[in-house]
Formats: sequence, structure tokens, C-alpha cells
Amino acid sequence: MKILKKASPHVLLLIYVAIILFPFVFVLFSSLKESNLEIAENPFGFPTSLYFQNYVDAWVKAKINVYFFNSAYLATTSALTGVLLSAATAYALVRMRYMKVSKIIYQFVLIGMLIPGNVLFIAQYLLVMKMGILNTHWALFLPYTAGALPVSVLLIAAFMRSIPNELEEAAVVDGLGSFKLFYKIILPLTLPALVTVFIVNFLGSWNEYLLANFFISKDALKTLPTGMVGFRDSFQTNYALICTGIVFSVTPVLILYAFLQEKIIEGVSAGAVKG
Amino acid sequence: MKHPLRNPFVYIVMIIPTLILYSLFFIYPMLTSSYYAFTDWNGLDVYKFIGFDNFIKVFSDSDFIAAIKNNMYFILFSVGLQVPLIIFFALLIANVKRFQRLYKTTVFIPSILSTSVIGILWGFVLHPNIGPVNSFLGIFGIEPIFWLADEKWALPAILVVNAWQWVGFYIVLVLAAILALPKEMNEAAEIDGATGLQRAWYLTVPLIKPIISVVVMLSIAGAMRVVDIVLVMTNGGPVGSTEVMASYLVNEAMGVNPSYGLGTAISLIIFAFALVLTAIYQLTFGKTKE
Repeated sequence: MKILKKASPHVLLLIYVAIILFPFVFVLFSSLKESNLEIAENPFGFPTSLYFQNYVDAWVKAKINVYFFNSAYLATTSALTGVLLSAATAYALVRMRYMKVSKIIYQFVLIGMLIPGNVLFIAQYLLVMKMGILNTHWALFLPYTAGALPVSVLLIAAFMRSIPNELEEAAVVDGLGSFKLFYKIILPLTLPALVTVFIVNFLGSWNEYLLANFFISKDALKTLPTGMVGFRDSFQTNYALICTGIVFSVTPVLILYAFLQEKIIEGVSAGAVKG
Repeated sequence: MKHPLRNPFVYIVMIIPTLILYSLFFIYPMLTSSYYAFTDWNGLDVYKFIGFDNFIKVFSDSDFIAAIKNNMYFILFSVGLQVPLIIFFALLIANVKRFQRLYKTTVFIPSILSTSVIGILWGFVLHPNIGPVNSFLGIFGIEPIFWLADEKWALPAILVVNAWQWVGFYIVLVLAAILALPKEMNEAAEIDGATGLQRAWYLTVPLIKPIISVVVMLSIAGAMRVVDIVLVMTNGGPVGSTEVMASYLVNEAMGVNPSYGLGTAISLIIFAFALVLTAIYQLTFGKTKE
């Protein structure tokens, strides 16, 4: 009886874990099968012989490496820019002594959190078109960076508020100016919050689909989410190849996750709860 | 001598880039939206101010009404079905000692993947001929179901996939709140003879109400915003049965005959819906923050 009581939560949780992992296993197996027929006849089984040719074919046909690189550097640069801008702004608003103006600016920036991203989609499209940057990476870099600002400022400002004044005062006595104070004292102390915000923003841009789909039509500039949809649509009937594409696009994220899971979970939940 | 923390030049340099970018991509689009929504602009230079015509047109389109309904299904499904499941599994994970990290890590995986890839992945799992779901049902003699091509099944299928993606994310949020609770109370209740179920229901759940309220809010906001998964899996079809407000917006505004005026009007409607729902929720359930 006692064993049953101890085991039953695990049984339920393992069923849940199986539901999470099942699609991945199915896709992985299918990616190694030679034909649609083999997938259809043996959907749950291990491939009869490992057919790695799919991986070669997908890599050559799919340009997944191009999409992957585009996503990686867009997400990195926009997350990094967003973090730096937000940190500078938060520093000015929280640590510098212009309380009245700062309060107004802070509230002004937070209004952005009320506006759901999709609502601005058409207007941003028109803006990007007017700026003449449609179909360049600027068309994604700028909205991604801007889109992350309100939450980032909020999180970083909250963190900076908790830093005691004494350190700063000592540094002032030592003759540090306002810029040096920022990057020699405050920035290093805020690092945990910066990492958190970086991860939240990185994942946000990495996974973004709507803007990426409509602001970029050149194949060489596409990001992974849109590139993969295009890949699926052009190889609609070769299921093994589509599965290989999925494996290619999912694996790097999973590897990253394996290394950074604690930070990612912590970062994303902090962003979600406070945002 | 001036104090280093009172340096107007530095203050401005630190703030201006953020303000420019923010105003350009948030405030300005919001303002232009509020303007274009009342015009018949279609991307050409000439456009007319047409008052509320866009709004009237949208609300008299039965497809849009159906899209609103589908958003409501997303809300009902995520608040009514997902939230209880989320609390249940979070409590389960919080109370096991072994494998806790494994569960926590695994359930979170879907939420770090891109929605569009998840859409493709599940499109394959639900494939009528070679997908494992139908193969499994075939064992019981059930005829293949065209999950994403059948008006009856397409929306439920997308709801389930959406849940698959996000339930784990919220479980981790709730779990974090549960694990942050002081252990003493629970131990005291245990000594008093309360069963695990009683402790969960009378002690833990009331204490994590604030985070549950956040999860409900986020679910509602997410349900209003949902679009990627629909665009990738069905693009609103078959015959509009999975259309949501945002996909309707995209299809109307970015289709063959782009109508930016109409599109911005729809986006303002989505915004208004989101605000009203949030306000209603805040006024009724959200004010338990004493």
C-alpha cells in the first residue's frame, strides 16, 4: 500500500513526460526511415536500417544552416542590444537623481507592456516599409529589440533598486564619473538580472514567426521558424525529409537547453511572472 | 562640484536611444493604427477617411464573429481545462523527491521551441495516413480521422497542441511558487494528521493564489494573441473553422488585396478585447492581493 502511494505520482508524471517526448521520438525515428511507406507501415517502430541519406539531402536542399545562422545572430544581437539599452535606461532612471522626470519616463515605457505584440503588426509593417528596410534584417532587428524594452527595463530597474547605495558612494569618493560608475560598478552587480533578461529576449526573437514571415521574403535572409515552414511546404510529400528538417531545427535548441536549463527556466519564469 | 549622479548629459545619453526606439516601434504604430483604422487605405497613396465603416464591416462579417468565438474557446480551454491540470501536476512534482529535476526539465521543453516548428511537428503526428495518432486509433478499428482537414476536429486538435506547448511552462511557474512556500506549515499540518490531498487543497492552493491568478491572466492574454500555431497548422481553415482574430487580421490585411485600414481596425478591436478581459478579470478575481 505504501509503495503504491509512493509510486502513483511517478506513474502519472511519467505518462505526462511520455506525452511530451513521444512526438520527438516519432520524428527522430521517421527521419531515419527510407520512405513514406516505411513510416506508414511501421509508425511506432525503430527504423529497419538507419537511412542517414535524409540528413545529407535535407542539409543540401533545406538551407537550414542559413536559416539557423540568421536566427542565431539576429536573436543574439537584438537581445544584446536590448539588454544594454535597458540597462543604461534603468541605471539613469533608478540610480541617477532626477526622480520626477524618471518616474514619468518609467511609466511611459511601461505602457508598452499593455499593448500585445500582434496589435502593432500592421502598423509596424507600414513603418518598416516607409523606412525602406523591408526585406532586410533591420526590419526584424529593430522591432525585436524595441519589443523587449518595456519588460527588460522593468526587470533590470527592479534589480538595480535593490543595490545598496554604499558601494556607489565609495566609488564616487574615489572619483568615478557617471559613465564609469555605470559600467564598472552597477553593470557587474546587475549581471544576474542581465543574463536573465538576455535569455528571455533571445528566446523571444529566436522563436518569432509572424514578423519574420511577412517582413522578410528573401530566402537567404529567412529565420528558422519561417524557413522551416517553407521547407515543409516544398517537400510536403517527403515525410522523412520533413522530419529530418525538424530534427535539424530542434536539436540546437535542445542542446542549448541541456546546458542552460536552470538559467533558462529561471529567466523565463522571472520574465513571465513580473511581466 | 557636480555630483556624478546628477549629470544631465549622461542622463540623456542613457535614456534617449531607448526612448527613440520605443516610441518608434510602440507609440508611433499605436497612434498610426488609431488613425488608419478609420481609413480605407490599401497601401496606395490616396486614401479616404471613412469613419467607422471598417468596424461595421468587420462586425457584420460572420467569419470574424466565428473567429471571436474561437478565441473564446481558446480562453475556455486554457482556463477551464489547462489551469486545473497545471495546478495538479505542479503539486505532484512538488511532492516527489526523486526525479523532481527530471520532470521539471522535461515538461518545460515544448515552451522553448518555436511555435511554428511545433506546428509542423504535430501536423506530422496528426497526419491522416502516416501519423501515429491515427495508426494508434486504427488498432481499435477506428477509421483515419483527418484531424486538421475536418471542420469538426481541426480546432480541438489545435487546442490540444497549444496546450501541449504551454502547460509545462505554467507548471514550472506554479512549481516555483510552491517550492518557495515555507515548509513548516506543511509539516505542522502533517503532524495534525492532514492527508496529502487535504494539505494541497486547504494549504498550498490558497497560498499560491497570486501565482494562479498570474497564470490565468497570462493564459487569457495568450489566448487573445494566439496566431502562429493557427497559421502554420491550418491557416484558419478548413472553411474558417480554426480562424482566430489575429489570423483573420493577417489574412485580411496581408492577402492578395491588402487592406491596411481594415487590418488596423481589427488590431484595435483585438487590443480592446484584451483590455476589457484583463479589466474584468482584475475586478472580479484578480483583487485577492491582500
